[in-house]
Order: sequence, then structure tokens, then C-alpha cells
Amino acid sequence: MVEKNDPVDVVIVGLGAGGGPAAKVLAEAGYSVVGFDKGPWLRPSEHYSGDELKFQNRSYLWPDVDLMPRTVRSDESSEGRIFNFSPVPSAVGGGTTHMAGWTPRPRPSDFIMRSLHGDIEGASLADWPYRYEHLEPYLTKVEWSYGISGLNGAEIGAGFRSKPYPSGPLPPTKFGAKFYEGCRKLGINAMPLPMSHLTERNELGRKAVNRTSFWNQYGDPTETRSTVATTYIPDALATGNFEVRADTFVREVKVDKNGRATGVVYIAPDGSEHLQEATVVILALGAIESSRLMLLSKSPRFPEGLANDSGLVGKNATFHEYLFAVGLFDREVTDPLNGFTGNYQSGGSMHFYETDHDRGHIGGGIIATTQIGQPINPILPGKPVWGEAAKDADRDYFLHSMKIGMILQDLPQETNRVDLDPTVKDRWGMPVARITNKPHANDTAMSKWQIDKNVEILEAAGAVRTMPVYLGEEFTGNACHQHGTVRMGNDPQKSVLNEWAQAHSVDNLFVLDGSGFATAMGVNPTLTIMAHSWRAADYIANTYLKGRSERLVLEPVSAGN
Amino acid sequence: MASKSEWKIVDVSIDPDSDEKLFFSEHEWSTVEAAAARIIPTDHDPGAREARVIVFIDRYLSGIDFHYAAADGSGFLRMEGEEARVARARTNDFQKMYREGVRELDAIAQRHGASDFVSADEATQDAILVEISGAPKPKHVRLDEHEVFYSRLQGNTDTGKSFFDTLAFHVRQGFYADPVYGGNKGRVGWKVIGFPGPESLKDTMDGTYTTAPYFVEQYDWRELLLEYDGPDTA
Repeated sequence: MVEKNDPVDVVIVGLGAGGGPAAKVLAEAGYSVVGFDKGPWLRPSEHYSGDELKFQNRSYLWPDVDLMPRTVRSDESSEGRIFNFSPVPSAVGGGTTHMAGWTPRPRPSDFIMRSLHGDIEGASLADWPYRYEHLEPYLTKVEWSYGISGLNGAEIGAGFRSKPYPSGPLPPTKFGAKFYEGCRKLGINAMPLPMSHLTERNELGRKAVNRTSFWNQYGDPTETRSTVATTYIPDALATGNFEVRADTFVREVKVDKNGRATGVVYIAPDGSEHLQEATVVILALGAIESSRLMLLSKSPRFPEGLANDSGLVGKNATFHEYLFAVGLFDREVTDPLNGFTGNYQSGGSMHFYETDHDRGHIGGGIIATTQIGQPINPILPGKPVWGEAAKDADRDYFLHSMKIGMILQDLPQETNRVDLDPTVKDRWGMPVARITNKPHANDTAMSKWQIDKNVEILEAAGAVRTMPVYLGEEFTGNACHQHGTVRMGNDPQKSVLNEWAQAHSVDNLFVLDGSGFATAMGVNPTLTIMAHSWRAADYIANTYLKGRSERLVLEPVSAGN
Repeated sequence: MASKSEWKIVDVSIDPDSDEKLFFSEHEWSTVEAAAARIIPTDHDPGAREARVIVFIDRYLSGIDFHYAAADGSGFLRMEGEEARVARARTNDFQKMYREGVRELDAIAQRHGASDFVSADEATQDAILVEISGAPKPKHVRLDEHEVFYSRLQGNTDTGKSFFDTLAFHVRQGFYADPVYGGNKGRVGWKVIGFPGPESLKDTMDGTYTTAPYFVEQYDWRELLLEYDGPDTA
């Protein structure tokens, strides 16, 4: 039944933001690496263009919910409903193939939330088992090999950085200029957000010709956007040590009787099953699918799922939520804001990032003004759907509205989790991920406070009417960010992975996506995921596979930090 | 069963002026066209009728041959494998939904004293759409009103909606999608709202189409930002 391949040094399951850097680092270190992705290996210059219908409405890159569904419910007692919760493209390159690409750095405070705030009722705050300074060298490596644009010196309050950005930002859009105007009036520090694309005259010598503004959710036919499929995958292939197996679904991680990983069982495009043995198994499917695969991988040693001695696999899931306020401007007195322009984001702020207890919640998140959208799908809450009113809404506000969004940093809760749906199966016949979630009171408070602040900025910028969109009674997964389901920590009772994202109970299993993140951070996770993966891959290549091990000892966080 | 990465381009195109019906009957065609004309009405600007939204919808419902344009617009992708299977199943559902929907529009029209939807006057057609949509006719967005909203589960695809919501969404798509799909004839939808839009999909692939002139062209970061004192541009 199961065909066996020659063993390799490393298998990587999932070739997105987590798998890409690991493939590059390990292949370049001389190890034989096989990478799996359940999606296709598309070719940008052949497959991508500015087709709104195809990319935004007909799921050319988004996962097809009839083939790869998920279910979602708000608590243990409610029924799961099929919904594309926190979707990420199934393709070599994963989410990096189409995402807007906000790539701000995390802040030092993101790694020590428990030390800063202690126990918060109903939440499971924990410090990360490493800190900002341990990640900083890798953030820099990613910024310079992947290609990140930003304005040097514009982020007030940033952590230490060892090198500037390799590329400047795009010019401001018209609505971006309004955002900056509103922020200035209110005394708010703003900046063009760091983005995963380049602009002309960058230090990496890549051409950056795509100024179509067909950006968020579109594949880029040029090399303007930085994606894993166009950077780290080719880097890894160039070594001759790396092989991509696309359209291939890994359904189980195999372990021996002692519980060490021996390899993975996968379903090839023709439906046949194969076993790929390896010395090291890396999971990088994203926090939902990595935890699902671990829960699917039951064995006598791990009856509750791979490496799940603590029972925590799938728990403490955090998803962020993208919330926003829209401002409408009077077309009689305001020049067009051209909300269709830009590479999604056109001005943001981390002014409200750090905790201020006067606000009534802990933590904070990044905010940014972003495109309203293209003609089929512009964002206008409560938009009339037919008749003269619908036509007038498009004529009046497509060019005369703007939006300021936020990334909601949700607190981890053990009850917010991923498990296996008891009835719904995917195209390969395997139980799908079921998401159970309910916002914490701190999440709701943060949403209210920050969205009201965004409304103030819109008003200061000249909006005549504002439309706040607050967090509802459950998360929708619309940020497409996933973390926490395979938590890192020092205590095997309270975490699944250690500071190298290595499983406490399976020494040759590493989970290199957002799964390990003990808290969600207030920034978009992709840059951190890539740096995190690079750091762990560095450890695998230079320490673990050399037969050594190391532990990182952290000093307690000093008071007033 | 080829992977999505190997789907072939079929050398076909859609003529927006065509009256050939690939899915609809004569009556269904004129009914859906009339309903579309109330969803995006013609006034001093063109509406759904002039944009040939009906051609867009007919081609979409005809099967899976017109779901995905080739990236450069040179034809349409021939879907294969599991993706083709589920797309076909959804298309079958839509076909049924539209057939029944047209019958329902006519049945409501008869209760309003018309022989069918197409022959009803515009005010009656609106009343029929109000009835089938289960909600009052949408009112204008006003600058002097206030309303708050909450995030909720919703997707960008066309599945999981009622007939009326599906129709309204397809009409919108047909009015604003790239003209390669048969609607938005001559880019009229884009002109109505001031979206420049590319002349062809191919122009979006190599820098030919650019929105750079729609950005702020003269700027100084030191003036835009509160505390920044670095160089004035990148």
C-alpha cells in the first residue's frame, strides 16, 4: 500500500512563511531536504495578474471551502458551522503569495507579556522562552534576503535594529496623506509601515515595477512583492539539496515505539500513499493545520496526538482580528482620495502599541490606513445592495472614503482552540480543523478603544461621517493570522515546544510557524514567523544535527522594563 | 488530472454584444436582464443593461468554461481535478437557483397584477424585488446619519446566499469585473465610479498599467510625519 522513498535529512511540511526560511537555511547548510505543500506550485509570470473577480471572489488562490473546509463555533456546547476561518492560500509560498504584506517588527514587550502583566483572569498569558534580542539578528537577515521596504528612523519607540531597511517605502497615497494629516493634528506618531515588497532603487537589485495597486489577495506577476515562492524556495533549490513535492497532502507524522519521529505519510497527486523517512521532521503548515496534523498523528506513545503529553496541542489559539473604521468625505469639497491605490497599506502607527492602563485594557496593536478596495469589493459597511442608492453609494464614495484598520492583539485562552471536527472531512477524507473561540473581555475593550481612536483620526482628517466596525461576539479569522496552538515554553507541563520550537517529548520534531507563539503580539506575524523559523533552522543545522544541544537561560525581566 | 499549475488555456473569448444564450432560455435571459437593470439602473450614467451584465451571468452559469480568465486575458483556463468537480457542483446549484428564481419573480409579478416580471413597469419590478429580497428598498447613504457595526463571519465568494442576494452580487460582479468576463462592456462600470482600470489584463503584468499618477507625487516625509527628521524621501 504505502510506497517508501529513500530517507532524507529533513522533511518540511508546508512551504509558506514558516517552511521557506527553514528550507533555505538547511539546504544551504548541506542537508538533504524535501518540502511538501498540499497546494500547487504556481508560476507568477504565468499565473498572476490584476483580475479582481478571479483572486478576490472566485478563490483562485484562497482555499476552496468545499475541498478544504474548516468549522467554527463559539463554545463547547454549540455546533460547528462550515466556514473558511482564517484562510491562507494552499500553494507553494502559502500566504506570502498574495498577502498585503505588513511586515513590522515585534517590540521587546511582545515577548514578556506575563512578566509585564501577571495573571489576567480568564487568559493564559505566558512569556516567550526567548526575547527580542535573540530574534533581532534573524529579523535583519529576513529583511535583507526576503526584501522589506520601510522608512528608516520613522518608527518611534522601536526595538534595537542592527541594520536599516534595504528599500524605501512607496510614496503616500491621497488617503495616506489624509491619515498623516489626522495623526499630526492629534499628536500621533505615524509612519509608512514596513512592507514585504520593494520599491525602485532598492539595495537588493530587484526590479519593482508593479504599481497596479492590484495587491492585497492578488498574486504578483512581477518580482515587486517578496514571497517565499520567489525568494527562499529558489535559494533552496539552487543548492541542489532541496526538492519540492507540491499538490501533496501529508496526513500523518510517524513515530517509533520510543516516540521519535521517523517521517511522514503523504498522499501524492495521483492518490497513492507514500512514506518519507527523515532524521528531522519540521511542521510549518500554519498554527491551525500544524496542530491538526499533530492531533491526526496518534500512536501508542501519543494517543492524544503527536507530542501532546501536556494536552495543550491546539489550545491557546490566537487569531488577531482585523477591525476598522471607515470615513466618508464630502465629494463636493474634497479632492478624490483614490482608495483603490497603493499596496494595501499607506500609513500606519504603533503609537498605541504599548500598554497604557488608563485605556482600560492591556496590550495594543498596530493600526494602518488601507485601501478601500477595487470596484467589485470596496469596503463600505451597510452598503446598499441594489437600486439607485447602491449606484450612488459607489459614485459618491468609491473615491471619497478611507479606512483605518487595527490588528487586534487577542489574549490567549485555553478554551480558544483547534481540535478535529467529529464529522466534516476534507478532500483527502481526513477530519478537518474545528475552531472554538470567544473573545476575552480585554479583546472587546481594546477593539472599542482603538476603533474609537481611529474614528477620531478620521474626523481630524476631515471625514464627515464615520462608520466604526467593532469586534463582534466571535472572531471571524479575517486577519488570516494564526498562533499559539503548539505553545513554546520552558515547562513541559505548560507547553509543547521549547525555545528552539523543538517538541519537549519528540526531540527531532520542530514546529516552525506561529504555532509556538505564547502570545499573539500586536503586529502582523509573518516577519516574526520567518525570523523564528530561520533561528530554529540555524539551531537544527549547526547544533542539533551536529549531535549537540543547547539551552537558552533567560534572566528574569527587571522591574520597570 | 492536472494540477492547477498546469491547467491549459483555452483560446476562447466572450463577445459582450452576443445574444447567443449558453444557459438561459429566451425568457430567463430577458427576466434576469430586466432585474439586473433595477439592481444597477441606468440614469445619466450607463447601468447593468449597457454593461451587458446579462452576458456575464449567462456565461458564468453555463458551466465551468468561463470561471477563470487566463492571467493575460488570452483565453480561459480549463479547470481540472477536484477543483473542477466542486465548481461544477456549485454551478449546478446556481443553475437551479436561477431557474427557480425566475419562476418566483414571475409568480410574484402575477400577484402584483402583471403577466410576468419583464412586462411589469419599473415601480412594480422594484416592489417585486423588495418582496423577494425580504427587505425594504435600500435607502441612500447619508452623511448626516450614524450607525455602528460589528465584525461577523462573511466571505467574498458567491455561495451561501439567497437567490436575490446572489443575483445582486453577480450583477455587481458583471458591472465591475474585468471586461474579459463579458460584462463591464467598454469598461463602463469603471468609468461610472472613476476607477481607471487597465486596458487589458496583460497590461497589469509588466508595469504597463500603473496607478502611480493617482498617488501623492510631491511630498516630504518630514512634513507628513510628526517626529521624523530623516531624509525627505526614501
